[in-house]
Amino acid sequence: MAETDLSSADDAALVRAAQKWDMGAFEELVARHRDKIYRRAYSMMRNEDEALDLSQEAWVKGWQRLKQFQRESSFSTWMTRIVINLCLDELRKQRRQRTGSIEELDEDSGGVERQMPAVIVNPTERLERGELRQRIDRGLDQLSYEHRTVLVLHEFEQMEYKEIAKAMDCSIGTVMSRLFYARRRLAAVLADLKDAK
Amino acid sequence: MTAEQQLKLQALLDGELPEKEARETAAWVARDAEAADLARELRQTRQALADAEPGLRVAESREFYWSRIERDIRRLEQAPTLSQPVSVLARLRRLLVPVSAVAALVVIVLATGLWVGFWGRPIRPDTEMTMADSGAFTYHDYANGTTLVWLDYPAER
Repeated sequence: MAETDLSSADDAALVRAAQKWDMGAFEELVARHRDKIYRRAYSMMRNEDEALDLSQEAWVKGWQRLKQFQRESSFSTWMTRIVINLCLDELRKQRRQRTGSIEELDEDSGGVERQMPAVIVNPTERLERGELRQRIDRGLDQLSYEHRTVLVLHEFEQMEYKEIAKAMDCSIGTVMSRLFYARRRLAAVLADLKDAK
Repeated sequence: MTAEQQLKLQALLDGELPEKEARETAAWVARDAEAADLARELRQTRQALADAEPGLRVAESREFYWSRIERDIRRLEQAPTLSQPVSVLARLRRLLVPVSAVAALVVIVLATGLWVGFWGRPIRPDTEMTMADSGAFTYHDYANGTTLVWLDYPAER
Protein backbone atom coordinates (compact mmCIF):
# COMPACT_ATOMS: atom_id res chain seq x y z
CA MET A 1 0.00 0.00 0.00
CA ALA A 2 1.43 3.40 -0.93
CA GLU A 3 2.46 5.63 1.95
CA THR A 4 -0.01 8.34 0.98
CA ASP A 5 -2.86 5.82 1.13
CA LEU A 6 -1.98 4.58 4.58
CA SER A 7 -3.22 7.54 6.57
CA SER A 8 -6.50 7.70 4.64
CA ALA A 9 -7.20 3.94 4.66
CA ASP A 10 -9.60 2.56 7.25
CA ASP A 11 -8.56 -0.11 9.74
CA ALA A 12 -10.10 -2.93 7.72
CA ALA A 13 -8.06 -2.04 4.62
CA LEU A 14 -4.91 -1.71 6.67
CA VAL A 15 -5.52 -5.07 8.32
CA ARG A 16 -6.04 -6.72 4.91
CA ALA A 17 -2.77 -5.23 3.68
CA ALA A 18 -0.95 -6.18 6.86
CA GLN A 19 -2.22 -9.76 6.53
CA LYS A 20 -0.32 -9.83 3.25
CA TRP A 21 2.79 -8.84 5.23
CA ASP A 22 2.63 -5.13 4.40
CA MET A 23 4.59 -3.78 7.35
CA GLY A 24 3.84 -0.18 6.45
CA ALA A 25 0.14 -0.87 6.89
CA PHE A 26 0.80 -2.53 10.23
CA GLU A 27 2.91 0.41 11.37
CA GLU A 28 -0.02 2.69 10.61
CA LEU A 29 -2.30 0.48 12.74
CA VAL A 30 0.22 0.65 15.57
CA ALA A 31 0.33 4.44 15.33
CA ARG A 32 -3.46 4.66 15.45
CA HIS A 33 -4.07 2.37 18.39
CA ARG A 34 -0.88 2.44 20.42
CA ASP A 35 -2.27 4.82 23.06
CA LYS A 36 -5.27 2.61 23.74
CA ILE A 37 -3.17 -0.53 23.99
CA TYR A 38 -0.67 1.22 26.24
CA ARG A 39 -3.48 2.61 28.40
CA ARG A 40 -4.97 -0.85 28.91
CA ALA A 41 -1.59 -2.28 29.82
CA TYR A 42 -1.02 0.55 32.27
CA SER A 43 -4.44 0.16 33.89
CA MET A 44 -3.57 -3.45 34.64
CA MET A 45 0.12 -3.16 35.50
CA ARG A 46 0.15 0.27 37.19
CA ASN A 47 3.73 0.73 36.02
CA GLU A 48 4.73 2.80 33.00
CA ASP A 49 7.81 0.80 31.99
CA GLU A 50 6.03 -2.53 32.22
CA ALA A 51 3.05 -1.13 30.36
CA LEU A 52 5.30 0.13 27.58
CA ASP A 53 7.14 -3.19 27.26
CA LEU A 54 3.96 -5.24 27.28
CA SER A 55 2.19 -2.98 24.83
CA GLN A 56 5.07 -3.34 22.38
CA GLU A 57 5.17 -7.10 22.95
CA ALA A 58 1.45 -7.17 22.20
CA TRP A 59 2.04 -5.54 18.82
CA VAL A 60 4.70 -8.11 17.97
CA LYS A 61 2.27 -10.89 18.89
CA GLY A 62 -0.43 -9.13 16.91
CA TRP A 63 1.74 -9.19 13.80
CA GLN A 64 2.54 -12.87 14.29
CA ARG A 65 -1.14 -13.79 14.74
CA LEU A 66 -2.58 -11.40 12.20
CA LYS A 67 -3.69 -14.24 9.94
CA GLN A 68 -5.90 -15.49 12.79
CA PHE A 69 -7.81 -12.21 13.03
CA GLN A 70 -11.28 -13.06 11.74
CA ARG A 71 -12.92 -9.61 12.01
CA GLU A 72 -15.43 -10.87 14.59
CA SER A 73 -14.54 -7.77 16.58
CA SER A 74 -12.78 -4.54 15.72
CA PHE A 75 -9.04 -4.67 15.26
CA SER A 76 -8.45 -2.52 18.34
CA THR A 77 -10.63 -4.82 20.46
CA TRP A 78 -8.70 -7.83 19.17
CA MET A 79 -5.41 -6.14 19.99
CA THR A 80 -6.71 -5.15 23.41
CA ARG A 81 -7.47 -8.79 24.18
CA ILE A 82 -3.89 -9.67 23.28
CA VAL A 83 -2.42 -7.07 25.60
CA ILE A 84 -4.82 -8.08 28.39
CA ASN A 85 -3.70 -11.70 28.12
CA LEU A 86 -0.05 -10.67 28.16
CA CYS A 87 -0.64 -8.53 31.24
CA LEU A 88 -2.49 -11.36 32.99
CA ASP A 89 0.39 -13.74 32.26
CA GLU A 90 2.88 -11.23 33.61
CA LEU A 91 0.81 -10.49 36.71
CA ARG A 92 0.40 -14.21 37.44
CA LYS A 93 4.13 -14.65 37.06
CA GLN A 94 4.80 -11.79 39.45
CA ARG A 95 2.21 -13.16 41.86
CA ARG A 96 3.88 -16.56 41.90
CA GLN A 97 7.19 -14.91 42.72
CA ARG A 98 5.92 -13.30 45.91
CA THR A 99 3.92 -14.64 48.79
CA GLY A 100 0.34 -13.48 49.12
CA SER A 101 0.02 -10.99 51.93
CA ILE A 102 -2.45 -11.22 54.78
CA GLU A 103 -4.27 -8.24 53.31
CA GLU A 104 -4.75 -10.06 50.03
CA LEU A 105 -6.20 -13.05 51.83
CA ASP A 106 -8.56 -10.73 53.66
CA GLU A 107 -9.57 -9.16 50.34
CA ASP A 108 -10.48 -12.52 48.91
CA SER A 109 -12.81 -13.24 51.77
CA GLY A 110 -14.47 -9.87 51.40
CA GLY A 111 -12.86 -8.03 54.30
CA VAL A 112 -14.69 -5.16 55.93
CA GLU A 113 -16.05 -3.87 52.63
CA ARG A 114 -19.04 -6.17 52.79
CA GLN A 115 -20.17 -4.59 56.06
CA MET A 116 -19.27 -1.02 55.15
CA PRO A 117 -22.30 1.29 54.92
CA ALA A 118 -22.96 2.70 51.46
CA VAL A 119 -21.42 6.05 50.56
CA ILE A 120 -24.54 8.19 50.60
CA VAL A 121 -23.25 11.46 49.16
CA ASN A 122 -22.09 11.29 45.57
CA PRO A 123 -18.33 11.61 46.11
CA THR A 124 -17.66 12.62 42.54
CA GLU A 125 -19.88 15.69 42.50
CA ARG A 126 -17.52 17.89 44.43
CA LEU A 127 -14.37 16.71 42.70
CA GLU A 128 -12.59 18.31 39.77
CA ARG A 129 -11.91 15.91 36.93
CA GLY A 130 -8.19 15.93 37.68
CA GLU A 131 -8.72 15.18 41.33
CA LEU A 132 -11.21 12.46 40.48
CA ARG A 133 -8.64 10.84 38.22
CA GLN A 134 -6.03 11.04 40.94
CA ARG A 135 -8.32 9.36 43.42
CA ILE A 136 -9.28 6.66 40.96
CA ASP A 137 -5.59 6.11 40.29
CA ARG A 138 -4.95 5.86 44.00
CA GLY A 139 -7.86 3.48 44.45
CA LEU A 140 -6.68 1.25 41.62
CA ASP A 141 -3.17 1.24 43.07
CA GLN A 142 -4.53 -0.04 46.36
CA LEU A 143 -6.26 -3.03 44.82
CA SER A 144 -4.64 -6.38 44.32
CA TYR A 145 -4.13 -7.32 40.68
CA GLU A 146 -7.06 -9.74 40.75
CA HIS A 147 -9.52 -7.10 41.94
CA ARG A 148 -8.11 -4.38 39.72
CA THR A 149 -8.17 -6.61 36.65
CA VAL A 150 -11.79 -7.60 37.17
CA LEU A 151 -12.72 -3.96 37.53
CA VAL A 152 -10.73 -2.88 34.47
CA LEU A 153 -12.12 -5.66 32.28
CA HIS A 154 -15.68 -4.99 33.36
CA GLU A 155 -15.71 -1.20 33.43
CA PHE A 156 -13.27 -0.29 30.67
CA GLU A 157 -13.65 -3.25 28.34
CA GLN A 158 -17.33 -3.95 29.02
CA MET A 159 -16.63 -7.64 29.36
CA GLU A 160 -19.34 -9.86 30.81
CA TYR A 161 -18.83 -11.91 33.97
CA LYS A 162 -18.36 -15.14 32.04
CA GLU A 163 -15.80 -13.57 29.70
CA ILE A 164 -13.81 -12.25 32.65
CA ALA A 165 -14.04 -15.63 34.39
CA LYS A 166 -12.63 -17.29 31.29
CA ALA A 167 -9.84 -14.75 30.88
CA MET A 168 -8.86 -14.99 34.55
CA ASP A 169 -9.43 -18.72 34.85
CA CYS A 170 -11.77 -18.47 37.82
CA SER A 171 -15.47 -18.95 38.56
CA ILE A 172 -18.21 -16.42 37.81
CA GLY A 173 -18.88 -16.25 41.56
CA THR A 174 -15.29 -15.21 42.16
CA VAL A 175 -15.57 -12.54 39.47
CA MET A 176 -18.74 -11.16 41.12
CA SER A 177 -17.15 -11.17 44.54
CA ARG A 178 -13.96 -9.48 43.36
CA LEU A 179 -15.89 -6.89 41.39
CA PHE A 180 -18.03 -6.05 44.39
CA TYR A 181 -15.03 -5.70 46.65
CA ALA A 182 -13.15 -3.56 44.13
CA ARG A 183 -16.07 -1.21 43.61
CA ARG A 184 -16.69 -0.76 47.30
CA ARG A 185 -13.07 -0.11 48.02
CA LEU A 186 -12.87 2.38 45.19
CA ALA A 187 -16.03 4.10 46.44
CA ALA A 188 -14.39 4.49 49.83
CA VAL A 189 -11.27 6.03 48.29
CA LEU A 190 -13.34 8.37 46.13
CA ALA A 191 -15.23 9.50 49.19
CA ASP A 192 -11.93 9.85 51.01
CA LEU A 193 -13.19 7.60 53.78
CA LYS A 194 -10.25 5.31 53.64
CA ASP A 195 -6.86 6.44 52.55
CA ALA A 196 -4.18 3.81 52.71
CA LYS A 197 -1.42 6.33 52.09
CA MET B 1 -28.09 -7.56 53.76
CA THR B 2 -26.49 -10.88 53.00
CA ALA B 3 -23.48 -11.34 50.74
CA GLU B 4 -25.70 -13.12 48.25
CA GLN B 5 -28.12 -10.19 48.14
CA GLN B 6 -25.25 -7.75 47.64
CA LEU B 7 -23.92 -9.69 44.67
CA LYS B 8 -27.40 -10.06 43.23
CA LEU B 9 -27.89 -6.32 43.44
CA GLN B 10 -24.61 -5.78 41.67
CA ALA B 11 -25.55 -8.29 38.98
CA LEU B 12 -28.80 -6.39 38.46
CA LEU B 13 -26.91 -3.16 37.81
CA ASP B 14 -24.52 -4.96 35.46
CA GLY B 15 -27.39 -6.44 33.47
CA GLU B 16 -26.31 -9.96 34.31
CA LEU B 17 -29.55 -11.26 35.83
CA PRO B 18 -32.19 -13.21 33.92
CA GLU B 19 -35.38 -11.20 33.32
CA LYS B 20 -37.51 -12.74 36.08
CA GLU B 21 -34.78 -12.49 38.70
CA ALA B 22 -34.00 -8.94 37.60
CA ARG B 23 -37.64 -7.92 38.17
CA GLU B 24 -37.69 -9.47 41.63
CA THR B 25 -34.38 -7.89 42.62
CA ALA B 26 -35.43 -4.47 41.32
CA ALA B 27 -38.62 -4.69 43.38
CA TRP B 28 -36.60 -5.55 46.47
CA VAL B 29 -34.23 -2.61 45.89
CA ALA B 30 -37.23 -0.30 45.52
CA ARG B 31 -38.58 -1.15 48.96
CA ASP B 32 -35.29 -1.63 50.87
CA ALA B 33 -33.49 1.61 51.78
CA GLU B 34 -30.18 -0.07 52.50
CA ALA B 35 -30.23 -1.82 49.15
CA ALA B 36 -31.16 1.43 47.42
CA ASP B 37 -28.18 3.21 49.01
CA LEU B 38 -25.83 0.47 47.94
CA ALA B 39 -27.24 0.51 44.42
CA ARG B 40 -26.67 4.27 44.25
CA GLU B 41 -23.09 3.94 45.45
CA LEU B 42 -22.29 1.21 42.92
CA ARG B 43 -23.77 3.30 40.09
CA GLN B 44 -21.80 6.36 41.11
CA THR B 45 -18.55 4.44 41.32
CA ARG B 46 -19.20 2.98 37.91
CA GLN B 47 -19.91 6.42 36.48
CA ALA B 48 -16.79 7.89 38.07
CA LEU B 49 -14.67 5.20 36.45
CA ALA B 50 -16.27 5.76 33.07
CA ASP B 51 -15.66 9.50 33.29
CA ALA B 52 -12.14 9.37 34.49
CA GLU B 53 -10.22 6.57 32.90
CA PRO B 54 -6.70 7.95 32.87
CA GLY B 55 -6.09 9.53 29.45
CA LEU B 56 -2.57 8.23 29.18
CA ARG B 57 -0.58 8.42 25.99
CA VAL B 58 2.64 6.76 24.94
CA ALA B 59 5.38 9.27 25.75
CA GLU B 60 7.71 8.02 22.99
CA SER B 61 7.60 9.27 19.42
CA ARG B 62 5.82 7.20 16.80
CA GLU B 63 9.12 6.28 15.14
CA PHE B 64 10.88 5.29 18.34
CA TYR B 65 7.95 3.24 19.61
CA TRP B 66 7.66 1.43 16.29
CA SER B 67 11.40 0.82 15.94
CA ARG B 68 11.49 -1.68 18.80
CA ILE B 69 8.40 -3.49 17.53
CA GLU B 70 9.86 -3.73 14.04
CA ARG B 71 13.21 -4.94 15.37
CA ASP B 72 11.54 -7.68 17.42
CA ILE B 73 9.37 -8.75 14.51
CA ARG B 74 12.39 -9.06 12.22
CA ARG B 75 14.40 -10.89 14.87
CA LEU B 76 11.62 -13.41 15.43
CA GLU B 77 11.11 -13.90 11.71
CA GLN B 78 14.77 -14.75 11.29
CA ALA B 79 14.83 -17.18 14.21
CA PRO B 80 13.67 -20.71 13.42
CA THR B 81 10.39 -21.55 15.10
CA LEU B 82 8.99 -24.90 16.20
CA SER B 83 6.04 -24.51 13.89
CA GLN B 84 8.26 -24.51 10.82
CA PRO B 85 8.41 -27.86 9.01
CA VAL B 86 11.60 -29.78 9.66
CA SER B 87 13.35 -31.05 6.54
CA VAL B 88 14.36 -34.70 6.12
CA LEU B 89 18.01 -33.66 6.12
CA ALA B 90 17.52 -31.80 9.37
CA ARG B 91 15.77 -34.82 10.92
CA LEU B 92 18.62 -37.06 9.73
CA ARG B 93 21.18 -34.65 11.12
CA ARG B 94 19.30 -34.56 14.42
CA LEU B 95 19.44 -38.37 14.54
CA LEU B 96 23.05 -38.63 13.43
CA VAL B 97 24.47 -36.26 16.02
CA PRO B 98 23.84 -38.53 19.04
CA VAL B 99 24.71 -41.64 16.98
CA SER B 100 28.02 -40.07 16.00
CA ALA B 101 28.71 -39.17 19.60
CA VAL B 102 28.08 -42.76 20.71
CA ALA B 103 30.24 -44.09 17.86
CA ALA B 104 33.07 -41.77 18.83
CA LEU B 105 32.79 -42.94 22.42
CA VAL B 106 32.95 -46.59 21.34
CA VAL B 107 36.07 -45.90 19.27
CA ILE B 108 37.72 -44.21 22.23
CA VAL B 109 36.84 -47.10 24.55
CA LEU B 110 38.14 -49.67 22.06
CA ALA B 111 41.34 -47.76 21.49
CA THR B 112 41.88 -47.46 25.22
CA GLY B 113 41.18 -51.19 25.59
CA LEU B 114 43.81 -52.01 23.01
CA TRP B 115 46.24 -49.71 24.70
CA VAL B 116 45.61 -51.10 28.18
CA GLY B 117 45.21 -54.69 27.04
CA PHE B 118 43.13 -57.39 28.57
CA TRP B 119 45.45 -57.78 31.61
CA GLY B 120 45.38 -54.16 32.51
CA ARG B 121 48.98 -53.69 31.36
CA PRO B 122 49.73 -51.03 28.81
CA ILE B 123 50.66 -52.46 25.41
CA ARG B 124 53.83 -50.68 24.57
CA PRO B 125 57.36 -51.62 23.61
CA ASP B 126 59.85 -52.62 26.28
CA THR B 127 62.25 -49.89 25.24
CA GLU B 128 61.80 -46.58 23.49
CA MET B 129 64.18 -43.98 22.14
CA THR B 130 63.08 -40.46 21.33
CA MET B 131 64.68 -37.24 20.18
CA ALA B 132 63.40 -34.63 22.64
CA ASP B 133 64.90 -31.77 20.66
CA SER B 134 67.75 -31.31 18.25
CA GLY B 135 70.36 -31.86 20.92
CA ALA B 136 68.84 -34.41 23.36
CA PHE B 137 68.32 -38.15 23.02
CA THR B 138 66.14 -40.08 25.50
CA TYR B 139 66.20 -43.82 26.16
CA HIS B 140 63.40 -45.49 28.20
CA ASP B 141 63.67 -49.06 29.46
CA TYR B 142 60.23 -49.87 30.81
CA ALA B 143 61.15 -53.34 32.02
CA ASN B 144 63.90 -51.98 34.29
CA GLY B 145 62.29 -48.63 34.92
CA THR B 146 65.31 -46.78 33.54
CA THR B 147 65.48 -43.52 31.64
CA LEU B 148 68.70 -42.14 30.19
CA VAL B 149 69.14 -38.79 28.50
CA TRP B 150 72.14 -37.97 26.29
CA LEU B 151 73.03 -34.43 25.62
CA ASP B 152 75.43 -33.82 22.74
CA TYR B 153 76.39 -30.33 23.86
CA PRO B 154 78.23 -29.29 26.98
CA ALA B 155 76.14 -28.57 30.06
CA GLU B 156 75.90 -24.94 31.09
CA ARG B 157 78.10 -23.93 33.91
